[in-house]
Amino acid sequence: MLLAVLIVFSLFAAQLLRLQAIDAKTMAEAALGQRLQKESIPALRGDITDADGVVLASSEERRDITADPTAVAQYTKVVDGTRTEVGISGAAKDLAPLLHKSARNIAIRLRANPGTRFTYLVKNVSPLTWHKVAALGIPGILSERTTQRDYPTNDVAASLVGWVGNDGKAGGGVEQMLDKKLTGTPGEMTYERSGDGSVIATGEHTDVPAVPGQNVRLTINSDLQFMAQNTLAQEVIKSRSESGTVVVSNPKGDLLAVASYPSFDPNHIGQAQGFLGNRAFSEVFEPGSTAKVMTAAAAIEEGVATPRTHVTVPSVLQRADREFRDAEKHGRLHLTFAGVLAHSSNMGAILVGEKLSKQTMYDYLRKFGIGSHTGVGFPGESRGLLARPQDWDDAQRFTILYGQGMSVNAIQDAGVFQTIANGGVRVPPRLIAGTESNGQFNQNPRAKGTRVVSEATAQQVTHMLEGVVGKHGTAPAAEVKGYRVAGKTGTASRYDAATGGYNGYTASFIGFAPADNPQLIVSVTLQNPKSSIYGGVVAAPVFSKVMTYALQAYKIPPTGTNPSHIPLTFKTPAEQARAKGKNE
Amino acid sequence: MDRPGLVWARTDWGLVIAALGLSLIGAVLVWSATRHQLGSALAVRHLINTAIGVVLAAAVTRLDFRGLRAWAPWVYLASLLGLGLVLSPVGSTINGSRSWIELPGGFSVQPSELAKVALCIGLAMILAEGRDRDRPPSHRDVALAWLVAGIPIGLVMLQPDLGSALVLGALALGVIAVSGAPRRWVLGAVGLVAVGITVALTTPLLSAYQRDRLVAFAHPEADPSGIGYQTRQVRIAIGSGGWGGKGLFQGRQTQGGFIPFQQTDFVFSVAGEELGFLGAAGLLLVLGFVVVRALVIAVRTEDAFSRLVAVGVACWLIFQVFENVGMNLGLMPVTGLPLPFVSYGGSSMFACWLAVGLLNNAHLASLRRG
Repeated sequence: MLLAVLIVFSLFAAQLLRLQAIDAKTMAEAALGQRLQKESIPALRGDITDADGVVLASSEERRDITADPTAVAQYTKVVDGTRTEVGISGAAKDLAPLLHKSARNIAIRLRANPGTRFTYLVKNVSPLTWHKVAALGIPGILSERTTQRDYPTNDVAASLVGWVGNDGKAGGGVEQMLDKKLTGTPGEMTYERSGDGSVIATGEHTDVPAVPGQNVRLTINSDLQFMAQNTLAQEVIKSRSESGTVVVSNPKGDLLAVASYPSFDPNHIGQAQGFLGNRAFSEVFEPGSTAKVMTAAAAIEEGVATPRTHVTVPSVLQRADREFRDAEKHGRLHLTFAGVLAHSSNMGAILVGEKLSKQTMYDYLRKFGIGSHTGVGFPGESRGLLARPQDWDDAQRFTILYGQGMSVNAIQDAGVFQTIANGGVRVPPRLIAGTESNGQFNQNPRAKGTRVVSEATAQQVTHMLEGVVGKHGTAPAAEVKGYRVAGKTGTASRYDAATGGYNGYTASFIGFAPADNPQLIVSVTLQNPKSSIYGGVVAAPVFSKVMTYALQAYKIPPTGTNPSHIPLTFKTPAEQARAKGKNE
Repeated sequence: MDRPGLVWARTDWGLVIAALGLSLIGAVLVWSATRHQLGSALAVRHLINTAIGVVLAAAVTRLDFRGLRAWAPWVYLASLLGLGLVLSPVGSTINGSRSWIELPGGFSVQPSELAKVALCIGLAMILAEGRDRDRPPSHRDVALAWLVAGIPIGLVMLQPDLGSALVLGALALGVIAVSGAPRRWVLGAVGLVAVGITVALTTPLLSAYQRDRLVAFAHPEADPSGIGYQTRQVRIAIGSGGWGGKGLFQGRQTQGGFIPFQQTDFVFSVAGEELGFLGAAGLLLVLGFVVVRALVIAVRTEDAFSRLVAVGVACWLIFQVFENVGMNLGLMPVTGLPLPFVSYGGSSMFACWLAVGLLNNAHLASLRRG
């Protein structure tokens, strides 16, 4: 018996020796391996702010609370002075007020899958809530770090700023455009974990801190964006348009507001419906009469016309086996070139523009930015369509002169007026003012401008555009009280991809103010309005409201000068003679 | 009764000191295993249990062995009553076994522990009654002895507590074998155990819980997060101790609370991880000393009754140490059994110290005779 006992104890000693001396290293490694826990620390995504630092998108730290129900079941706490096991029901009761859920629901969740060692209790709670939960000391209740993206302006700049989906991936807008800069580098926490999942305080512990993403500052003015978005929304609804955009910029090319309607709420992207891009960048349309500005600028720059050039406009014009007419029927008109613009005569534009070769006209259009990307790099941006002149069909050579047979987006369309407002120098639009990291601001420099027409030409075109807003022009409703305004209406046949032909109209008004010292450019485009198809009726009032607000917001005083008055019509020698006879 | 001075002078102090040493080491290990969850509460209780145990041992030591024999039937019946109560609605279930009786004030009693003491003196009474040590017991006595052992074993099996049942069985087997019973009784019993194990493994007699433990013993990797978890965590803890151990309160497996029931059934793994090979082997050495001491007393005792009592205690302690350390080292399947003196648990501690008292009583009996 004694011998047997001694043998057994020697056997035990041998096994102890084997476990602790021979296998010790692999055991220790296995032990560390199971305790070492790597947890990713998500990096906070950078903020997106407007030009003045008003937050349009920001990220905050959140926690997803997880549970190991088998550990929660061992929850003990002191009740009436004695430590008792209260288990899942006790834990649920303690958690309920902190998580704003009923104890019953929490208990059901913890008991849902018997034997499971991982479940999410509640997602997306504040770090403060998590600290309160952690203070309860319930075994098996842990948390995962996450972040939540918040868009305080809701739908106002949604299509511009973009959104971040539930999977953490940027989906559109600036979020997608500058995703790399906005995304930080996640950190990593390595620690030793005890059996119930809590951190072993004396264990190994290393932290690689997360590096937050860069903040992005836009050129946008959030107040102006808000105003533009709301004014646009009202008009789209009132005019029963399909959609609309408002673009506000300054002559240096900075985009101050880019409104797009219908919009969506990026805070609830799961419920968002319809188009989630920004129409000002991605929706292309035939610009129509606003493009006559390019025809005018080219004609004046090339010396084939001046604002006062006499243009005799017939009631019907035969060109390329086609009859061209103006929007409103009229007899023979004696218009100056300025009058052609003020009345938005298609035939007048053809009569002057056809003096330029196809290639010359094409070159000017390209210099104005038609058919090229804006350079902003906005996701989903379309550059529109401008065929090469050798591919233009016979009619297109004439329609292009009044803005049909080519297509642009609203940013490009507004860029034409920026060029005129900036004295003939086109500056590609700028949306990103700069980025900020570690408190240091890195300015995003403005793109270099290119001269399209001379300053003199730009000034003459501006004078002509003032006539449009005058009482004899097509858009007296675009008037801004006390300021000189230059602008142009557009009422274009709208190409409908669904029907493969023209269907409805694009109504627009683009202009700038003050006309003799341009500071702001506002473009309003409405797609397929039903109450009226005319830009002067539906788009011009929006322009007036947004421009009025913008001039006040930027504290731009009226110049106090009188509007230029280029005669819009001329008298034939016969008429002059008759008039002279009357007077005498 | 002899003069008290003589009793103290002739007490087997080696045994007492070793048992006291084990109890104190146990307090430290229990403290280490539970301090994160419960602070020093369990360690303090362990010390209180030890103190009560020492008093009980002293009382038993001082009893005349004839007095002890007179008490035997009552102690035995009391233990049967306890085992019966456990199975009644009074008993409470912990970890799948109905083994505890809750007492007011947060105390609980595990009757199967006290049944070990009862069986030691009960069997000795039957097999040694009215005989000197040279005359073997009759067939009738042996049959009665098996009946006396069988009832508590059966009741414990019903709990079900396989570990305690095995201890009681080993105890009975040892006592009957040493009593001089006819050899076929002993061989028959061994055969019965073999058949029992075969039946247990091949039929649904064992509870699913017990079967899982046996499967986990054979294939610890079968279900690493379930039943194999414990075996694996214990092995990791002991293995990562190395030669010198991680240091007291420094064992990550222990401090991290990876091992369920570490302060009771798996207290040996605390020593393995935190005190290393030197500490664990030392603990094993002291346990071995206690066991060998029990055997030596059994061999030396002249009086038939005292001798059988000592044999019973020795078999009990040997088997329990063997099974507990064996399962900690992964050499035996996991059955819930405490490590004598070291594991936390009041009933177990009292039973162990009562065993020390019985051994001392037997030791003194031989001196009283001589």
